[in-house]
Order: sequence, then structure tokens, then C-alpha cells
Amino acid sequence: MLGNEALVRGCLEAGVSYVSQYPGTPTSDIGEYFHQVLIDSPETREFLIHHWAVNEAVATSSCAGAAWTGCRSLNPMKHVGLNVASDALSVIALNGPNPGAMVVSIGSDPGSLGSHQEQNERFYAWMLHLPTFEPHTPQECKDWIKLAFELSEKYDLVMNFRMSTRSAHSRGFVKLEPLVKGKAKGEFIRNIPKFNSLPPHAINNHIRLYERIEKLREAIPSLGVNKIIPGENKIGIITSGMPFGYTMEALNQLNLNDVPVLKLGMIYPLNYEEIVDFIEKLEKVIIIEELEPFLEMKIAEIAHDHKINVEIIGEQYFPKYNEFSTGLVATCLANIFNKPPNEQMKKAIDYFNSYKEIIPSRFPTFCSGCPERATLYAILKATNHLENTIISGDIGCYVMSFFPPQQCSDLVICMSGGISAAIGMSTKTDQKVIAMIGDSTFFHTGMAPLAEAVGYNSNVLLIIFENSWTAMTGHQNDVLRYLLNKGFSIEDICKAIGVSWLRVEDSYKPKKLVKSIEEALETDGFKVIIIKRECGLQAHRWRMDQIRGLEREGKKVQDVSYFIGGCQMCYECARVLSCPAIRRVETDGIEEMQIDQDRCIRCGVCYEICPNGAIRKSIINLFAEEVPFREL
Amino acid sequence: MSFKETDIINIVIAGTAGQGVITLKRLIEFASQKAGVKRNFGSEMHGLAQREGAISSHTRYQKELFEDDRKNLYSPLICYGDADLYICFEPIEALRRGLFASNKTSFVLNSRTIPGIMITANLESYPSLEKIKEILNGYSNEVYFMNATELSLNNFNTNQYVNLIMLGFAIPTSKIPFIEIEHYEEVIKEWLRDPDSNIKALHLGLEKGKKIINSAN
Repeated sequence: MLGNEALVRGCLEAGVSYVSQYPGTPTSDIGEYFHQVLIDSPETREFLIHHWAVNEAVATSSCAGAAWTGCRSLNPMKHVGLNVASDALSVIALNGPNPGAMVVSIGSDPGSLGSHQEQNERFYAWMLHLPTFEPHTPQECKDWIKLAFELSEKYDLVMNFRMSTRSAHSRGFVKLEPLVKGKAKGEFIRNIPKFNSLPPHAINNHIRLYERIEKLREAIPSLGVNKIIPGENKIGIITSGMPFGYTMEALNQLNLNDVPVLKLGMIYPLNYEEIVDFIEKLEKVIIIEELEPFLEMKIAEIAHDHKINVEIIGEQYFPKYNEFSTGLVATCLANIFNKPPNEQMKKAIDYFNSYKEIIPSRFPTFCSGCPERATLYAILKATNHLENTIISGDIGCYVMSFFPPQQCSDLVICMSGGISAAIGMSTKTDQKVIAMIGDSTFFHTGMAPLAEAVGYNSNVLLIIFENSWTAMTGHQNDVLRYLLNKGFSIEDICKAIGVSWLRVEDSYKPKKLVKSIEEALETDGFKVIIIKRECGLQAHRWRMDQIRGLEREGKKVQDVSYFIGGCQMCYECARVLSCPAIRRVETDGIEEMQIDQDRCIRCGVCYEICPNGAIRKSIINLFAEEVPFREL
Repeated sequence: MSFKETDIINIVIAGTAGQGVITLKRLIEFASQKAGVKRNFGSEMHGLAQREGAISSHTRYQKELFEDDRKNLYSPLICYGDADLYICFEPIEALRRGLFASNKTSFVLNSRTIPGIMITANLESYPSLEKIKEILNGYSNEVYFMNATELSLNNFNTNQYVNLIMLGFAIPTSKIPFIEIEHYEEVIKEWLRDPDSNIKALHLGLEKGKKIINSAN
């Protein structure tokens, strides 16, 4: 099982009956597993509910609501999602989740493997008093999340189950235990002091929170989640989570198998006796943790408070950024223990790094036929390649806009930060300001800055990508889908808020879109262009299903394709549009562009924009049934 | 080269989005379970990499555990310079992930390139296959190429079977020990759509792989 899969299994063994989350790597697949359970085992629908929330703050408060009726709720979110949820969580943690239980599962991301940044959100555990588990193997993911629910219920504490991209997406064997049916219905019992954290109850709840944390702190040694790997060396190591695995393999590689290791399963709170017992016999303690020193600060504090004469090191030897690996930990440990570096490893690093220069880049980019890529093309054309223009980007697939060759995003902050930054910028510069936002981000937190931009009539062009999916995180069947299926319209919202300059465009008609952008940029005040076109990946899947269905019925279908003949090598399709279905080939010394038929989704944008008319459209079975993309 | 049952087996699978890297990784892991492997811990790359990006996975397993628990498999990531085998669906990806290779590593590579948008835009260049081969040969003696994409297109009219062909190609290197062909076939039947074609692809790769690898040695 994958770490996330094991986590979901653990929840089902713990009788969880409510889950709410906004998708975000590495936690999106937690929700996908729950959905699969609801499909594969319809009997679970009697008690289990999974919601894709509009944003993390909504999800967190929803989970608290379910817990306060006596149910067990799970609230997964990515590390930056915790910034959004923290306002709600600060109060919920104070009140406590009883009579039910609540676990937040944070997907941290050292190395920014699937996020815009790698903040160390562990410090929230101190600030909000969230007892925090850090699992290492999928087995621990399954076993400990069950334990987290028990402790949450027992001590009236919101527990934090801290995954990382690596632990979420690592796979190993897991021993299963029986499933437990969750509570279908609970009951809210009025308790004004507990659920109204306002003075004087806020102070009382704060005092009560300390009491609850101290009770848990005492119980930690009996939980069996912290473990000592004994050794005689006077230098010892304290670590947790994935770095524990790298540490063990690094020690073995360096023949340092006498070094004692304390593996912490719970990183907050720490049991003082447990830490003191381990460190008082040692001369030196190495703390191995990714990102900023969190354990190191607390352990140094414990050593100081207990007057233990031991040297505590870590951050000066290990990087405070990026993900760790066995190789990195081994290199740092070799340095600390004065051991020669591993020859085989050094050789590999030196050899392959010396050829780094010749490896072409392969960064993530928009898929073939992506309507967002076509929109960026139109922006580049309408602004003469961003002359005197600022593009304020945002979070979604279009976060990739900054990559070459389009390089069409000047900044990115956070969900809906782009439109907000544009509001401020437009008051202080005469440059043209364009902000971009996707539909899921629009519902997440985009409507508030939209209202502000309308209110101040900010001189900004806002481009809203309505592709009808939360595409970046893997097309979850989320609240956006339900809203759009109910006829909810972003256009109507814009009108209701008071947007006066509003166009709805289709980036598969790029020339018309270029004109609209030009007009918008010539107009003062706040303007909105909605790009209404389904995500290319989903549109292509849907269309192929339709075609296969018709063919199964024995019907003939129009076969549309695009090909290039007489290419002038102007690079319009390769550098301004840069569709990945187009490749440059050389035949008999002549260079030309070619379309990969297996990768082209037939959006026709390259055909529309080729300045030399070298891209041709061919239709076989002209009089047969046409299967166009579906309209939104 | 033969492995001891307690050895940790390290396999890097690299390619580009949509080529079936994760599917092959899981297939080897599931087959290792059928083969009675005691520990299995490997890492997959999800998320951003789906969008035309470079993608790699680490498969690691141990048939039997050491009595001294400190010597066992603990990390889902391979250490630099420690891989036994590279299965690369796209040739340049072998160099991008080269740091994990040792001089005992076998490389099996699909020779079909996927250049990417920066190459199409003529803003970067893609090295020749000869150059890639020369660099890898400068490090390891066992570097084998096969055009698995062509084989898949010719036999199945789609490139969807590249991953199973590449698995077949890798088997004659003997660097995926303790797992038999039957174990793979069992998993394919239980888990993949169109098992017949997948099994056929596995054997196509295996037969062609045997020829390529035997004639080189």
C-alpha cells in the first residue's frame, strides 16, 4: 500500500465517518481513495461521507462540526492549506473535538515536489497545540492514524498526522486489521463554555488545553510510537519520519552501527523523561530533521532545563532546505564522525554532475490542447510579448505559465493572491496589469478580491479560466463540478458583484481572444474575460469515449486531423504557442515541424494561428457524424 | 552476477509523464510479493510530473531480512551510486537520474526520444544517442538499447505497451532476482486491463532483450 492508501485504511479501521478536504498534493489521493471505497463498497455510504470542500478553512470547520456531534472526522490538507485553515483550527484546537474526535492530516512537502514552496508547517504544532505524529512506513501510517483517533477522543485534542510527499507516495507491505463501521448520526449537545471561545471562556479553554496536552505528554512512553535503536557510541541521533530511514541506511553504509538512535513517532509534545534518559548518557546528540530546526530547539531547551551537559548539533551540519536523502545524510554524518565519504557515491555524483550541462530541461508544462496555453498565446500576441505589461499569476495549472518559452507569469503568491497583488500594483504603476485565476481558485478565495477590485474599479484585466475542473490536482469530482452542474455561472457572479466590462471568450478561437484582450487593455478600470473551455485532458477523454461509443454502435465518425506541409520554420507554433504535440524534425537535411498524431487532441489552435497557412486540416468521412468537444 | 537473499535490490525506473513508470513499478512490487519477498519499500512520483515532466520511481526489495536489523531496508529512496538496474523509457532520463548508478549497474534504455518543447523551440539541444551511450559506457559496461516504442507500435498499433516490453528487456540482465516470469503473469492477469496483450508485450521484450544482451556479452 501507498502511505496515503494505508492512512485511509487506518481511518476505516478507526470508524471515521466524515472526511472533508480541499485537494492538494500530496493529500489529494486520500480523498480519491475514500471515493473509491464509497463506490466499491456501497454499504459504507450508510455512515461515511466525503466532501471536497471549497477551501481548507471550510473543510476544517466542517470536520469540527461533525466531531462535535460525536463522530470521528478526518481533515487532510497540504502544508500551505494549513495557512488557510489555521484561523479556524486555532479555535477548534482550543475548544477540543469532543465528544467526537478530529485528526488533521498535513501533507508537508520538503523539496517542493508538488507545491510552490516548502514551508515548515511543524511550527503550527507549537502555536496551536496540535499533538503531531510523523510516520515512516505505510504500516505506521495505518496503525498510528488509528491511535491518533483514540487519543483525540480520549484527551479532547485535535491531532495532527504529518505526512510528507515522500511518506504519502512510498509503498510497502501493510498488515490489515478488521474494518469498523463509523457513526452514521450523532447529536450535538449544547455546551456554551466549550464551544464559544470568547472571554471569559477563551482563557478557560486555553488553561484546559494546557491540562489536556500535559496529560498526553505523560502518556507518550506507553503509546509505543517512540523507539530506541540501542548502541554504545557516545554520540547519538534523534530523528523522526522519513529522515529516520535515510539515517539508518547511512549509518550502516558508514559502518557506524554502534550509534544509538531515538526515533520519535510523536514530535509534539515531547515526553521530558524519555528525552532526558536518552541524552544524559551521551556526549553529543545529532538531530536529523528536514527544513528548519524544530526538534533541535525543543531538545536543546529540555537539555538546558534539566542541566544536562550534552552538545546538541544538527542545523549547522544539515541543510535547512530541500528534501533529504540517504546520500545527503551519509555525507553529513561522514563529516561529523570524520569518516571518509563513500567512494561509490562520490564517483556517481562527480561523474554525472559533470554532464549536467548537456541534459535538456524537462519541466512540467501545459498538456497538448490546453486552453490555458492558448490563452497565454493570445496574451503574448495582444501585448506584443508583454511589453509594458505585468502578469500576476496564481495557483492552478497556470502556475506553470512562468516556464519558457512562454514565460507568461511575473509573480505568484498563494491561492487568489494574484488578483489581490494586481489591485495594489495598479494603483502604483501605469504598466498594464493582467491577473489570472482558475475556476477552482475563484471559488476557493477569489470572490473576495474580485469584490474589492470592482469596489475600487482597479485598473486590472482579470482573466478567469473556466475549464470546469480542479485540473492541477487530478480532476477531483469536487464542489466545483456540483456547482457547475447545477447551472451555477461565474459570469452571473461577476455581474452580480457589479463587473461592468465582461466578456466570455474561447481560447480555441485565439484571434478573437487577442482582439478582446487588446480592447480590454485599452479600457480603464476593472475588466473581466472569462475563458470558457474545458480542460484539454478531460475534453479529449470525453470525446474519445463518445467516438468509441458511436463506433461500437457501428456508426461512422468524422476523422479530423492536422498536419504540416511547407513549414517556413517561423517558430510561431513552437515558441509562442509551444504545444508539446508539435516536434521539430530533420529529414534529408531539411528542418520542419511535425504534429505527433498520437499526442494531438485536435483542438485546432495551431491551425488557427499559423501565419503561413502551413498547418492543414484534414477531414476523413466528411459526411459522417461530427463529434465536437462538449460546450460548458 | 548473483544476489544473496539478504541483498537489497535497487531499481530505478525513469521516463516521462504518461509512459507507465508507476504502473511498471507497482507491477514489479506486486510480483515481488507473489515471490515471497519479505520487505518492500519504494517511492513513486505523483502530481506535477504528470504534465509532460520527467518522472522517476525507485523500487527496492529484500528477499530475506538480516538478523541484524540495522542492515535491512529502511528508506524508499536508493542511495547515490547504489542502483543495480536502470529501466529508462526515454534515453536522456538515464543521465538526468544518473546519480544513483554504480559501475555494477545495468542500463536498459528505450532508444525512442521524447525531445520536449524546448528542443522543438530550438532553444536547447538534445544530445545524440551515441553521445548518451558513450557517457553511460564511460561508467558502466552494461548499457543496452532497444526501440521499445517501435516494437509496441508495430505489434499493438499503440505506444501503451512500452513499459511491459521494457520489463521483458530488463529481465535477462538478472538484476531483478527472485521474481519469476509466472509472478509477473499472475499480477498482470489480476491487475491490468487486457492481460493477453500485456503478457505478449512482456514476452516480446524478453525475447528481443535476450538477443540484445546475449550478443553483447
